[in-house]
Amino acid sequence: MKEVMAIIRMNMMNQTKRALADAGISSLTARDALGRGKGLVDMTLLKGAEQGYEEAISQLGQSQRLIPKRILFIVVKEKMVEKTVKTIIKVNQTGKSGDGKIFVMPVRDSVRVRTGEKGANTLDD
Amino acid sequence: MIMIRSIVRPEKSDKVLADLMDAGFPAVTRMSVVGRGKQRGIKIGEITYDELPKDLLFTVVKDKDKDFVIKTVIKAARSGGKGAFGDGKIFVTPVDEIYTISSGIRETDSGETEEVKI
Repeated sequence: MKEVMAIIRMNMMNQTKRALADAGISSLTARDALGRGKGLVDMTLLKGAEQGYEEAISQLGQSQRLIPKRILFIVVKEKMVEKTVKTIIKVNQTGKSGDGKIFVMPVRDSVRVRTGEKGANTLDD
Repeated sequence: MIMIRSIVRPEKSDKVLADLMDAGFPAVTRMSVVGRGKQRGIKIGEITYDELPKDLLFTVVKDKDKDFVIKTVIKAARSGGKGAFGDGKIFVTPVDEIYTISSGIRETDSGETEEVKI
């Protein structure tokens, strides 16, 4: 079992959900999150500062800017990891920075609360 | 690669983020969460508050940077010199693979990078 944790753009949520459902990965948990990446510059802010807007200039001084993102947690069987990752990349790739990251982590066990079953058969096929 | 999940006080999370940026680890994801620790929340008079607001920070770093990042977070998130109850916890989990969506580049634990064909 693996946990796929994907950080994606806010407005890509619906497409991603649909694509995952079409690919047979129906169960997921999602949340709003704030984050930053390798420290990119917000171009609209720079442009605004260039044109002399005071709001933009005052924001330039702040060292940390956090960008709202969606974060998905999906636990899948080992054989489904590649499919999940490829589906997410396919939908979310625009080629520009800020598209997000996907992390794949091992999961030791999973339990279905309703029946108490353990192991990989608690997950979707 | 290692994922470091730190649960810190909300008022300290800005300082943690700034210190991480200064230490050269800009990439962080933040979520606000509620929870309780082994003090079972806070009891004030008759009322027990067991859903205390905290900030959850996700950082993914290389294995060799693990200790340094953890020390940076601990140093920034402690309240007072010695720290106090409620300062938070740090959990460390392994990460097998990292994909960057914009370029489709895959990084594995051994440091290899390759582009994924979609």
